[in-house]
Amino acid sequence: MGLGKYLIIRLINALIVLSIVTLVVSALFVKVAEKDLQSRIQELVNAEYQSLTQRGRAPENVTAWQEERIAYYRHLYKLDKPYWWRVLYYAKRTITLDFGNTRVPIFGTERNVKNIIALALPRTILLFTSAQIIVIILGLLLGVKAAQMVGSVFDRALSILALVTTSIPMWWFGMMALLIFAFKLGWFPANSMPDPNLTGFAHVVDVVRRLVLPIFTIVFVLFGGWAWVTRNIMITTMQEDFIMAARAKGVPERKVIYGHALRAAAPPIVTMTIFSLLGSLGGAIITESVFNWPGMGRVYWIAIQTNEVNLVMGLTFISVALYLTGVIIADISYGFLDPRVRVGASARM
Amino acid sequence: MRWVDLKDSLSNFWFEFRRQKTGILGIVLLIFWIIIALGAPYITQPDIPDKWKTVWIDYPKTVPPTWTGVFSGVKEAPHLIIPPDELQKYVTQSENKIIIDIPYNMEYDVPPQDIVLMNISGKSKGRLRPVLSLKIKRPDGEEITLLQGFKIKGSTNIQIARDSNVRRRVLNWVKMKTGIQIDPNKEFEYMTTMDTLRVIFAKVTPDMLDKPQPLKGEYHIIYEIKLFKDTSVDISHAELVLTGRTYGYLGTDDKGRDLFAGIIWGSRVSLAVGITTAVLSVLIGIFYGVTAAYFGGWTDELMMRFQEFMASIPTLPILILLGTYFGGHIQLWQIVLLLAVFGWVGIARVARSMAYQIKEQTYVEAAIALGAGTGRIIFKHMVPQLLPYAFAQMALNVPGAVLAEASLSFLGLGDPTQVTWGQILHDAQVAGAAVNGYWWWVIPPGLAIALVALTFVLIGTALDRVLNPRLRRL
Repeated sequence: MGLGKYLIIRLINALIVLSIVTLVVSALFVKVAEKDLQSRIQELVNAEYQSLTQRGRAPENVTAWQEERIAYYRHLYKLDKPYWWRVLYYAKRTITLDFGNTRVPIFGTERNVKNIIALALPRTILLFTSAQIIVIILGLLLGVKAAQMVGSVFDRALSILALVTTSIPMWWFGMMALLIFAFKLGWFPANSMPDPNLTGFAHVVDVVRRLVLPIFTIVFVLFGGWAWVTRNIMITTMQEDFIMAARAKGVPERKVIYGHALRAAAPPIVTMTIFSLLGSLGGAIITESVFNWPGMGRVYWIAIQTNEVNLVMGLTFISVALYLTGVIIADISYGFLDPRVRVGASARM
Repeated sequence: MRWVDLKDSLSNFWFEFRRQKTGILGIVLLIFWIIIALGAPYITQPDIPDKWKTVWIDYPKTVPPTWTGVFSGVKEAPHLIIPPDELQKYVTQSENKIIIDIPYNMEYDVPPQDIVLMNISGKSKGRLRPVLSLKIKRPDGEEITLLQGFKIKGSTNIQIARDSNVRRRVLNWVKMKTGIQIDPNKEFEYMTTMDTLRVIFAKVTPDMLDKPQPLKGEYHIIYEIKLFKDTSVDISHAELVLTGRTYGYLGTDDKGRDLFAGIIWGSRVSLAVGITTAVLSVLIGIFYGVTAAYFGGWTDELMMRFQEFMASIPTLPILILLGTYFGGHIQLWQIVLLLAVFGWVGIARVARSMAYQIKEQTYVEAAIALGAGTGRIIFKHMVPQLLPYAFAQMALNVPGAVLAEASLSFLGLGDPTQVTWGQILHDAQVAGAAVNGYWWWVIPPGLAIALVALTFVLIGTALDRVLNPRLRRL
């Protein structure tokens, strides 16, 4: 089986999974949103009636008028179609990347789902992806360092720190950071919304100041786990024969670790890197709500709260697509990094 | 496996485990949590979960724990309740008058938050109602009338701190005593935000409205009830609550609920959800993986596609969606079920690859050759081999489940009939506890979550090292 064929099979596979997930979410959420929509239609019609009466243009036959309006809105929100039709309708639209509009504007005036995501994604990248990059670099450096001196005070301290920090809920740590640094000490602003009056350099400084606490929170909670996993992978690799051979050859220790061991330990680390970087694009629903950060997680939460079918579908679709992309990239990168799992032409080399 | 073997392997295991210091610490912590969880009704009161849904009227709202005074050096008035039988001692009753004169020794830097007369009930046959007035006699000889002509209808509680009439009287009294002028805007501000009791218990100074200095000494809180014809007042159940500025070991939240009781009771939910979810999801994962590996071929392919599908669903958003689907609140058993449904995925993959190795072993082949059934081979020959891995994974899966339950509760989707740490934090977030500085409301629940998670991480990593010696890392 060649690499191309393998890739195509993986891609088709991913697309099937993506469609099924979309369909399931659609089935679930159309049901959730139905009740809410019905009561909203009732409210809308009532409000319309009120405003008409106030302007002295009350309809003569009230029940008939109401029925007509309700039917209009039911048609508008596709409630007149059967349940399965709607499920398939939303799923099909989402899969064909037609995300549609939300009913109520989000982020001020924006109603187009694609534009909302285009607004939220950069903010999430600014916060989570940059935090994730710091986490990865810090975790790798500390983990390799700890693996070099197994059993030392540094190694033990790092292990304990890792065990403790992975047990902390990130959002709680965020609340604590706000409590200490924003409330008690007043070093950083408690709100993440940048000051709209500032421009240029002052604006950048303002945004950076607002970024410090959330980034600190994410890095603190995540770096320990990364360092620990890296350490464990490195230790297992360091016990392998080829490391001993390299050392016996007289290869300098630095080169043994960064050239031989880290290269051999690369596949799982690369997988972790890919998944955490892609995962960071989805944001974090709870952490963003603690810091009031208007990113992807916050949008997701608002979307579920206000029963915006289109938005929920679009966001779920994107996060699932990102995950599956990660799986495929990881699979391919394995082939390049680890000669034992090569497929296709490169396997014959 | 015979009993002797089991005993032997257990003692072997314990011999190994004993040397894992972190594991022992984990066990100690686990025992601590079990004692807390089981002892919750005895440590606090047994009716906390029911009581938790209500507002605790006779408790102070959002006050820090009592021990904070030790660090800040400011003595704040603790919560004081004068129960009905003690209150009777201060009552003098005549034919048309009841006087309750309660002496109160104010020896604190910060006086109580409120003075509440609870469960006083008046009856009248005619149109006239019994009338109550409240005076405070201060150690400097001053007397402030806080209430006058207050009509008692039915059974009521009389609070004064937020009453605008009381505030007006206090303001007038201050103006009379100090002779200061207050401009109308400022006066309006005082009317809405003044800490009434601080002023009542303050030394008479020109700036007593802005910077009240406590006047320590013996005060008298005097309730006077005038009775008219055909009216009567029942004060046999009445109690006086001097709402404290501090309360209990861990303070209270904005509904006056004792956070200490909440933390204690929350441990039950956390442990129950964490352990059940972890055990369930690991068992499902192991069986799923082993079954896929045993059958292989198309079955394996299909099962792994389904596993992939489950893995690619973003868990938290779907859980939130399902939460809304269940009407905004997920019951506890539903949370456990949902977390288990999404929790087995990773384990199934590892279990499958491990089972593939086991399947190639000669004794499995021998069992197949002997004509052993599918169930027998899976349960008797393959699953036991995976048990060491399973036990370690169970412990390591608890923290995730605990955090997930707390996260759902934090979002307000938790079980409303239970007291959980996540819900306490949810209430804290709603009340803006972090930005208002209610640290006693934010720190303990999070620490508790982290500590439970840590307990199982410690046990899990120690188990992993003992039970999976292939992965042993120094």
